Amino acid sequence: MKEIKDKMIAQINAAFPEAVNKAYDGNRLDFTVHKDAIPGFLSHMKDQLGFRHLSHIAYVDWIEENEFELVYLLWSPTDKVKLFVHTRIDRENPVMHNIDMIWRQANTYQREIKEMLGIDFPDMVAPDEFILEDWDDIPPFRRDFDTLEYVNRTFWHRPGREDAQDVRETISKRSGEEIPDFAKKYSR
Amino acid sequence: MREKATTLYLGPQHPGITGNMMVRLKVMGDTIVSAQTEVGYLHRAFEKLQERRNWLNSFTLMCRFCVPETDPMENLYARAVESLDNIEVPERAKYIRVMVLELARIATQLMWYAGQNGSLGLYTMGQWSIGDRDYILDLFEQLTGGRVYHMYQWPGGVRRDLPEGFEGKVLRTLDYLEKRLKDYDDLMFSNSIFQKRTQGVGYVPKESIIEHGVVGPVLRGAGIRSDIRIDEPYEVYDKLDFEIPTQEGSDIWARALVRRAEVHQSIRIIRQVLDQMPKGEFNTSIPNPMKWRVKAGDTYVRAESARGEVGYYAVSDGTIHPRRMHLRGAAYVHAITLLENILPGQNVADVSAIMNSLGTCAPEIER
Amino acid sequence: MSFFDLQGTLKPLTALKQFGKKPHTLKDIPWKKREASDNYRGLHFNDIDECIGCGNCSTICQNAAIDMIHLEGVEGKKGDSGLRPRVDNGRCCWCALCVEVCPTGSLSLTKDYIYVTEDPDAFLWTPGISNPDGEERKSYVSTHELSLNHFNRIPMPELEGKERIKSFAEVVLGYNEEQAREEASRCISCGICTEVCPDHMHIPEYINAIAAGDDKEAVKIIYDNNPLPEMCGKVCTRRCEDVCAIATRGDSVAIRWLKRYATETAATADITHEIVNPEIREANGKTVGIIGAGPSGLTAAYYLALRGYDVTIYEASAKAGGATMYGIPKYRLPIESLEKQIGYIQSIGVKIKFNTKVGKDISFKEIYDKYDSVFMGVGFPDAWPLGVDGDDAEGSMQAFRYLYMINSGEKVDIGDKVVVVGGGNVAIDAARVSRRFGAEVTILYRRRVEDMPADWEEIEGAEDEGIHIIPQGIPTKIHKDEKGHVKAIEYLKAEMVADDKGGRPRPVAIEGSETVLEATAVMAAIGQMGDYSFLPKEFEEKITIERGRFVVNEKQQTGDPKVFAGGDAVNRTADAISAIADGFRACKAIDEYLSGK
Ligand SMILES: Cc1cc2nc3c(=O)[nH]c(=O)nc-3n(C[C@H](O)[C@H](O)[C@H](O)COP(=O)(O)OP(=O)(O)OC[C@H]3O[C@@H](n4cnc5c(N)ncnc54)[C@H](O)[C@@H]3O)c2cc1C
Ligand code: SF4
Ligand code: SF4
Repeated sequence: MKEIKDKMIAQINAAFPEAVNKAYDGNRLDFTVHKDAIPGFLSHMKDQLGFRHLSHIAYVDWIEENEFELVYLLWSPTDKVKLFVHTRIDRENPVMHNIDMIWRQANTYQREIKEMLGIDFPDMVAPDEFILEDWDDIPPFRRDFDTLEYVNRTFWHRPGREDAQDVRETISKRSGEEIPDFAKKYSR
Repeated sequence: MREKATTLYLGPQHPGITGNMMVRLKVMGDTIVSAQTEVGYLHRAFEKLQERRNWLNSFTLMCRFCVPETDPMENLYARAVESLDNIEVPERAKYIRVMVLELARIATQLMWYAGQNGSLGLYTMGQWSIGDRDYILDLFEQLTGGRVYHMYQWPGGVRRDLPEGFEGKVLRTLDYLEKRLKDYDDLMFSNSIFQKRTQGVGYVPKESIIEHGVVGPVLRGAGIRSDIRIDEPYEVYDKLDFEIPTQEGSDIWARALVRRAEVHQSIRIIRQVLDQMPKGEFNTSIPNPMKWRVKAGDTYVRAESARGEVGYYAVSDGTIHPRRMHLRGAAYVHAITLLENILPGQNVADVSAIMNSLGTCAPEIER
Repeated sequence: MSFFDLQGTLKPLTALKQFGKKPHTLKDIPWKKREASDNYRGLHFNDIDECIGCGNCSTICQNAAIDMIHLEGVEGKKGDSGLRPRVDNGRCCWCALCVEVCPTGSLSLTKDYIYVTEDPDAFLWTPGISNPDGEERKSYVSTHELSLNHFNRIPMPELEGKERIKSFAEVVLGYNEEQAREEASRCISCGICTEVCPDHMHIPEYINAIAAGDDKEAVKIIYDNNPLPEMCGKVCTRRCEDVCAIATRGDSVAIRWLKRYATETAATADITHEIVNPEIREANGKTVGIIGAGPSGLTAAYYLALRGYDVTIYEASAKAGGATMYGIPKYRLPIESLEKQIGYIQSIGVKIKFNTKVGKDISFKEIYDKYDSVFMGVGFPDAWPLGVDGDDAEGSMQAFRYLYMINSGEKVDIGDKVVVVGGGNVAIDAARVSRRFGAEVTILYRRRVEDMPADWEEIEGAEDEGIHIIPQGIPTKIHKDEKGHVKAIEYLKAEMVADDKGGRPRPVAIEGSETVLEATAVMAAIGQMGDYSFLPKEFEEKITIERGRFVVNEKQQTGDPKVFAGGDAVNRTADAISAIADGFRACKAIDEYLSGK
């Protein structure tokens, strides 16, 4: 396995000198690629290196870094190698290249990413709505979309449970303990 | 004079699939011209909800991704967290997990028998196979405390050991099923109605396979011998002896034959598991769930569900909440682009049967 | 295939053979309920008496199905929040994680799964109250082995017994970072412990900070109401640990050791200052005089100084710390540790006048007149003598005095055979100190070992160090040699007699069981007492003393509104944390009194 991977890394490094490799055990191969290089990189992987199967396109919101991450997960049925291709997208300018001409199914992934994260794929042809209907809030899979706040705003609470108590508060009230505000974030 | 195409809305209720989903068809007479899937009836935002949950209570959501087939999802979650946090799983737990996964595969296929026949108007088969599936659910109930949502495989192993005498009960159920499958053959596979309605129907061209990320029985029904259990063995599949059945037809019939053969293989696997299962621990305890910080990193794990490859991309940022848990379901690729691609030219009456043969599971698409 | 396929038409007809077969569904449904499996996850049951209302079940439930509520007839008490879980069955997903995390094991799921009602509010129900008979159908239960709670404490590394007696080196070595994080992770953050802590420290919060790797935050939280936390982290009587939720079925969280871990990360007074980063209010021009620099006096002084008061402590000894400096042996509480903490207290502006005994070097009246308010934290500076024949022999002493002298750096001649009389911590301390000076040591105690009020870890530590314990022995006489020096101690063996009034069993001497034990020194450790001679007569009416202690109200205020008191001279628990709690309470009361709020 190691030889196969080493060979692949060498080939990828030769074809894409900018792609950054991260070493992992087992059958995981891991590269980080600039977003503009993604279509070329992926079709090379598919056509030249045997990664014929697109298993998944995962997305993560790294709001702290003001970036979105897409992870293309590829599989080589012949070499049994799993390839992670990471790329980062500026949260302020969330535009990404369409790859549904490489794998048609990417279309579905991209529709979801567009709707849930708000990344635009300008040259993708697809209906506007995917899962959500008439959504007018920020894309809900962004970290700054607060589910609890949304639920409280959208639904009503069935009455009858207002008598619920907080255990910590009950005890501290009873004993006269004053928990300072800065400590409260460590309460449960 | 040219006929005008009519728009037909099929669904969101179907006889053949789990959950709600609609297909908007343009038809000319009985023949489909184009198809467009519409989902959105079942979005529960499970993955988003995990942002608020911790590494343990996230696990209770897993089984809900796909109702008829809950266990592969639990397995993926457990393995994803174990791989992030370097948790060793006891050998016995791995065997128990394989037993659960294979029992689940049989149960899912029994449900598929019902759906596949039901979508063709053959209802007796469904009465039988759903009834027989209940025997497996009985086993699950005894093992896990739940019939459909097992919430049993969790990070570290499984929640409870096998109850007393459980192995015997499993074996008896398998013996019964083996006999029953002969009745199924008579009623279903020998049935000329079933044959006529499935042979040559729902054809998936070879070129589409890579294009659409085709997996599972659909892939094997097109003659490709591929199965995660062999390609990237997890748990103890590498220690077990079983075959990967394939068929050439790439139609509903071929996929049905693959599934039929897989039930037999699952029975074979479970017998080996019971035979080889070592004694000992069944779980490695995790830290206090409320304070459990999983090591930062990412991972992608895959499993072979009854409907094909399911995968889980998991990210931890080192806090008590999962950063991102992202499921890849078999239906996600089959039921949208692939379905839209193969429907044109097919008969309206076959849509449900085709959807069923692709393993369509709407809740898994929307998550 | 031909259009008419005979096989394909006939084969399916074989299904007709099923006709007349018994159906495999249950016939009697819905009249007869189907019995669920032995670990079915059905409706909840809770053993209301076992449950301690920790709320862990409610916390793990992310469906927000569990509320903690007050129930009629369930009162909160030590070790019990008084709340009980109520389940919204409309939200429950039957995952049973609540069962897996319940520390007491009171919560379980039952085989009951059919529950039909037209009343939508009836789905809110209180397990154990709404279904008292659920007990019989418990199925999914939490056992000690299956529970997700971690019932075993991370062991504390210690010096070995043989090593220890060679010096006064600290016995307990402390957790390293990894051990501390792991131990801290066992806490379920219920806070039940905080009620029992006399000072109501914010235990779950600082433990959680440690678990999260935020040690500095932990130190800050700890200093919110305890200015001598490292001392407590080493020697606290830790009653909190007795009621820890985890202790219901396992070892309590090592609350004391975790506090010790956190505070030790602040290695010097300066670092402590930097981490705690205290907000010191501007001087308000008011003054407070404090008598005694023991834990109670230091605590009152520290928090008053933070609130802008000008605080001066009068201390009879050369060092501050009181009994924690002069009583507690250094192998438990190294002097550098205590001095660091006192140094920090001084660094924020607390003035201490050492070697100034009130009543001798300065009169109480002078202090009373000079300051706007007075706090007395004078402790119990005297000890009870043994009170038996021969008690006046040379070599017969009080353990408390002995420890005082050793801690002051004096030499005391104890010979090579020491007998310590008593069963409390002071007895164990005197015994273990004597052992460190090479003596063979025996502890003579009236009752059984399990009755000893000393900390179990201290008793174990003494035994590890080769100290012999003779239980059920009542001293009757001290034998002297020609020079009037202790030669032996005589005692009667005792049997334990059940107390008719329901109290703990009493030791009753067995007649004729006189036993003589050779000794070169005898130390009495049977209790301490106060010395209030510094109080002039004119105050006696207002500042009253009852049964050897000052009488104060719930704000630590004596009959004279200007004078407050706390510590051993007031409370019955007589330990450092109670003294600290008194000091903290007194600070708030004095602030209230002087600021008129
Ligand atoms: C040997 C021993 C071991 C102990 N071990 C533990 C333990 O492990 N854990 C624990 O929690 N507690 C322990 N204690 C008890 C604990 O030390 C005391 O409860 C605590 O110190 C009481 O604090 P305080 O402020 O009330 O008084 P003290 O600590 O007694 O301090 C009183 C101070 O007032 C001074 N003073 C008294 N009269 C005057 C006066 N007239 N003028 C000026 N100054 C005066 C004294 O010199 C002294 O410094 C132990 C006590 C002893 C003796
Ligand atoms: S976790 Fe157990 S002990 Fe705690 S409140 Fe819930 S039922 Fe009671
Ligand atoms: S230390 Fe024990 S009692 Fe205190 S909060 Fe933690 S678990 Fe609860």
